[in-house]
Amino acid sequence: MAIDEIVVSASLLCKIYQINDVNIEVLKDLNLEVGKGEFVVISGPSGVGKTTLLNVIGGIDRPTSGKIIVFGHDLRVEDEGFLSDFRCSNVGFVFQFYNLVSTLSVSENIAFPMEWARKPEDYIESRVEELLRIVGLEHRADHFSFQLSGGEQQRVAFARALSNDPPLLLVDEPTGNLDVKTGLKIVQILRKLKDDGKTIIAATHDERIIRLADQKLHLEDGKLVNLND
Amino acid sequence: MIETSFPINDLLRRKFQTSLITISLTLCVAATVYLLLFSGNIGFEISLMVEGKLTAGFSTIFSPFIIFVGLLSVIAGAVTVSFMIFVMMSQRVKDIGLMRASGCPNDLIFGYFMTELLIVTFIGCFLGVIFGTLANYASIGVFNFLGFQISQKPVNFWLILFVFVLFFALAIIFGTKPILAAAKVAPAKAVSSTYQFGLSKEPGFKIISKSSFTIKIALRSLFRRKSATIRIILCLSTVFTLVTVAVAGGIIADYTTKSWIEKAIGRNIVLVAHQDLCDQYELLLSKFYRAKESPQFNYMDQKYSVPENLLKSLSSTSGIIGIETRLVLETHVEEVPGYIFVPETSTIIEVGDNRQGESLIVGVEPGKVLSECFIEGEFLKENRTREAVIGDSLAQEIFSRPSNQSIRLFDRNFDVTGVCLDPINNGNVTYVPLKALQNVAGLSNPNVIMVRVDPTDRTKILNQISANAKAVNPDFEVFELNEILEKSLSFIGHIWSTVIFLPLFSLIAASLSLIGYVMLTIAEKHQEFGVLRAVGTKPRTVVKIISEQSFIVLLSSFAAGVPIGIILTLLILVLEPVVTSYMILQISGLLLVALVVMFVSSLYPALKFARKPILEILNKP
Repeated sequence: MAIDEIVVSASLLCKIYQINDVNIEVLKDLNLEVGKGEFVVISGPSGVGKTTLLNVIGGIDRPTSGKIIVFGHDLRVEDEGFLSDFRCSNVGFVFQFYNLVSTLSVSENIAFPMEWARKPEDYIESRVEELLRIVGLEHRADHFSFQLSGGEQQRVAFARALSNDPPLLLVDEPTGNLDVKTGLKIVQILRKLKDDGKTIIAATHDERIIRLADQKLHLEDGKLVNLND
Repeated sequence: MIETSFPINDLLRRKFQTSLITISLTLCVAATVYLLLFSGNIGFEISLMVEGKLTAGFSTIFSPFIIFVGLLSVIAGAVTVSFMIFVMMSQRVKDIGLMRASGCPNDLIFGYFMTELLIVTFIGCFLGVIFGTLANYASIGVFNFLGFQISQKPVNFWLILFVFVLFFALAIIFGTKPILAAAKVAPAKAVSSTYQFGLSKEPGFKIISKSSFTIKIALRSLFRRKSATIRIILCLSTVFTLVTVAVAGGIIADYTTKSWIEKAIGRNIVLVAHQDLCDQYELLLSKFYRAKESPQFNYMDQKYSVPENLLKSLSSTSGIIGIETRLVLETHVEEVPGYIFVPETSTIIEVGDNRQGESLIVGVEPGKVLSECFIEGEFLKENRTREAVIGDSLAQEIFSRPSNQSIRLFDRNFDVTGVCLDPINNGNVTYVPLKALQNVAGLSNPNVIMVRVDPTDRTKILNQISANAKAVNPDFEVFELNEILEKSLSFIGHIWSTVIFLPLFSLIAASLSLIGYVMLTIAEKHQEFGVLRAVGTKPRTVVKIISEQSFIVLLSSFAAGVPIGIILTLLILVLEPVVTSYMILQISGLLLVALVVMFVSSLYPALKFARKPILEILNKP
């Protein structure tokens, strides 16, 4: 795949967690480049730092050292206010454990990021309908998270992540808690997003998702190894 | 070793929660102990003792109010304690479930958490008793420092023990319930967030779709956690009722009593008498705020008689608005039984017991009296000679049904026509017509002249009066009652200020309860707040959600508690209360300040939480 524009660039990225007096180095001088419209898959053993890397790319966490440039912004130096706006409009997050807001209905869960982004009400309504159609949950619009299955909750999480039409989607083990059949629906959504040209970085072990990737990376000992090579 | 140290370590690791609950409990117990001890010292107690305190009448009229404030304080304390213990234990449901899932026997779990409960309750109650007692000593000290002598009664240890046992028992009863409930839940259910936070419950009502997301989340969270929400609203409503009764009642009582005192002593009134009698009169008036025995004084000594020519010269002095003469003396008095008709049995029964005592007797000219006491019944009439009005303390001490009885002095009976609230001699006084007193006492002249002066040219007039008095008798002088009046008003003001601020302890405890509730909300939703932050919600929006929830709770409690407080105040308060528009503003202002302070303090955990990094929120188990 020909890359026109680099949207994510990490160089010499380090992330060290200090627990009591022990330093745990999760990312070690890690380098990464993701082009616009690329589908990147990061695999690796549990606890190796895949989620940490996604968090750093998404501006949820800050690296200990190194550079992380996303859409031209050095996320290491930006303040929390900027990062909130940045996440709201540029990044869509899909968490492993769905993490829906339990006090909001399905449609409200999809709508609230658009409200934070101050989108017009008419637009929000039509966008929610569109996203519910995409994830196949039109009939669940007024239900609450506890009334949905795991697969349905994950699809709502996808719809929420896409609500502000972010150019970058970060997906953390999207099928990790789902059975094979339910996971397939998630894979289909990811395939459609890839076809629509969305830049996606997914941390997963699911072979069906890995097969969709343009760039297959393996995280081990804090460093990325390109499996395409 | 591990088993015994678990509860202590657990409490120490959760410093903030442990401190919050201990402080709340301490404040509730301290408030009750302080109220009971201090109100006893200033004379507001059921026994109605009058030695060196407010007059019996004041105590009688305001006792129901003070007792009610005390009762509300105890109720507010009990409700607050029950809520805080509920919050403490509700936050442990998951831990209890985890311990059960890992095979820990039920009785051991129950033992751990009961030990924690006992430790916190004991420390809270113990500190509460100490602080309550110290606060009482400090208040008495402050009053005495300000010049008002309040006698310090020995501390009633049985009363303190009663409060300690009461709150200890309440905390244990309310705290054991959630522990037992959590221990009974199946481990799988207890560790599930769906059970812990009631996530499987419907929001309970349809929220207007146009409402903003923050309001939706706040309202639905409130309805989901119905049990905690109802408890906190109940707790805060009780405290707001208490605050309203204390503040509104205290301010109304303050103005009313001050008005009574001011009328009884009179403003811009000076006393013209022999210097010894002036000193004695000052002593008699100051008994209201100073527990001091007056020495033997021979009022009937001829040197105290007011000469006719002094009266004449004062009458012709310009700037004098009114003159009144009095004969003041002290004598033995006796209760004369009376008869009352009982309609139910159509019989006449005797009331009274021939009790005796000493009383200050003041002979006045009815119709010319410059001061005006608050009176139950009616004051002396000009054409009646054998009537008397007695002071409230005398009425309490030696009379059963004063309005149906007579008082005997100098071997003559005087029918009691009214009971007055008068600060002179702390209410141990009898007013009789001047002429009648002169006749029975065998004295031809009065011994005191009361003069009301024009305040515009006060100094000049006082100098003139003094000169006139000295010209007649060099031992005569002018004594200004304004100073005594101000001291009496100040004393009353301090007492009511203390009453108004009594609920401060409860208010602080309620604020801590609200903080506990907000912490429970955050604990329940921390994961969701983390997700909200991760998808681009600003920290201030999270604070907005929490503060909206807290504000709804606070406003609901305010709306419930304040009207109840106002109704109760009007039901239990004084006869003929003085209510002005300024007072209404003052009461509203203080209640609003309480609301705002509680709201602002409840934001602390929200602000602290909002500063946390997203990952710390998301990764918290």
